[in-house]
Amino acid sequence: MIWWLIVLIIVIVLILLIVFGYYNRFTVLQNRINNSFAQIDVQLRKRSDLVPNLVQAVKGYMKHEQKIMKEVTEARKALLKVIPSKDVASKMKAGDALQGALKSLFAIAENYPNLKASENFLHLQRELSAIEDKVAYARQFYNDSILGYNNLCKTIPGRWFAAMFSKKAGKYLEIPAASRAVPKISF
Amino acid sequence: MKKISFHDQIARNKRNSFFLVIIVFIVMIVLGYVISMAFSPDYFFFIMILAIIISLVYVLITYYNSDKIALASVKAKKADSVRHRSLYHAVENMSIASGMPMPKVYVMPGSQINAFATGRDPKHGVVCVTEGALNRLNKQELEAVVGHEMSHIANYDIRFITTIAIVVGAIAIFSQLFLRSLWFGSGRSRGRGQGNIIFFLIAIALAILAPIIVKLVQLAISRKREFMADAGSVKLTRYPPGMVNALKKIKADHEQLKVPDAVAPMFFSDTTKRRMANLFQTHPPIEKRISVLERM
Repeated sequence: MIWWLIVLIIVIVLILLIVFGYYNRFTVLQNRINNSFAQIDVQLRKRSDLVPNLVQAVKGYMKHEQKIMKEVTEARKALLKVIPSKDVASKMKAGDALQGALKSLFAIAENYPNLKASENFLHLQRELSAIEDKVAYARQFYNDSILGYNNLCKTIPGRWFAAMFSKKAGKYLEIPAASRAVPKISF
Repeated sequence: MKKISFHDQIARNKRNSFFLVIIVFIVMIVLGYVISMAFSPDYFFFIMILAIIISLVYVLITYYNSDKIALASVKAKKADSVRHRSLYHAVENMSIASGMPMPKVYVMPGSQINAFATGRDPKHGVVCVTEGALNRLNKQELEAVVGHEMSHIANYDIRFITTIAIVVGAIAIFSQLFLRSLWFGSGRSRGRGQGNIIFFLIAIALAILAPIIVKLVQLAISRKREFMADAGSVKLTRYPPGMVNALKKIKADHEQLKVPDAVAPMFFSDTTKRRMANLFQTHPPIEKRISVLERM
């Protein structure tokens, strides 16, 4: 009789440990996703923080390019508005829009040799292109985190625990084809 | 590369590091025992306790200062955030891609393209790159090299390699101490009975063999790890050609790097150029690393 009791207790403890273990695993992976999402925000914010400096640096040289300047400023405003939100898709869209606007600005800057000679401008250009890399890597890590989480949600026995804790698989970020291309080396 | 294999590798590394520490204690005790029996069985406990205390202190001090020791031994300096901007960007990128905390960044003198990582866990990670690597690698290649070192940190290879280096060092020191002490001890212990001679022979054999065996195991293990770290780097950069090109540049490179033997296995590639793939090589042949990467 007493033996049965001991075996029963051991089995219950084991089951509890496994359940706790899986619950914690889900939590850890979910936290990783949240953290990697915050990392994207950090980079987007850095990008938008550099834009005023860039506008300042460029203003004197590109007096006749009001359209693109306005476009960049607007894109920055739009991005700043969506950064605090939880809406992934619109955040990514705003980030890409600013990146696109900056790209056309840099393309136009090619026509201004004086601007191209400015140390300050070159520095900002380098920093912004470095941030572009970082956004791409932050997205990649976000997707890696989602992958880890989804693997747990969709394999057995994780699947059963996911149902038990009502955890749902996460959604991947779509990575724009342009940002995956290797940028040509320019330094 | 499947994700699970990395987790397996991490678990294995942590476990192996632990076993190694146990092994170093056993070796110390055995050596201490044999030595004390060979010299003077009366002082057995005294010698044992001394051996244990010395090895404990040695292991703890080296373990917690391994990063500083390694950096100092190659004369590395902290990277300058303005002058080494591209290196900082490469390390930041890899830290974002891997989700690891940002390691400390160092630059060491030397025209050879090389790099190493140290630090006992990801929170204390250090990545150190040679000036040659900074001057001769482009952005993708530098990221690949940094990614390789970051993978070593993430996989706990550093902890493992550091522990092995400590074990090798400890055993070498003890063996040397014993072998040297024979010169002084032989006069006194002569005529002390035949039992001692057997212990003497065992002790001498152990003292000579142990460092060699441990060294071979160390090299075999560290060669295997390089493939894992190459794969880990590609997982971070998603760009195998970066790694392949970096390795090709290293292959064409005929520079040598003068570093102490103890830290050589920690580097990205061999610090000296050897022709043959042999037992004493710290890294797998570059051709083999390239061919594995090109299949990915």
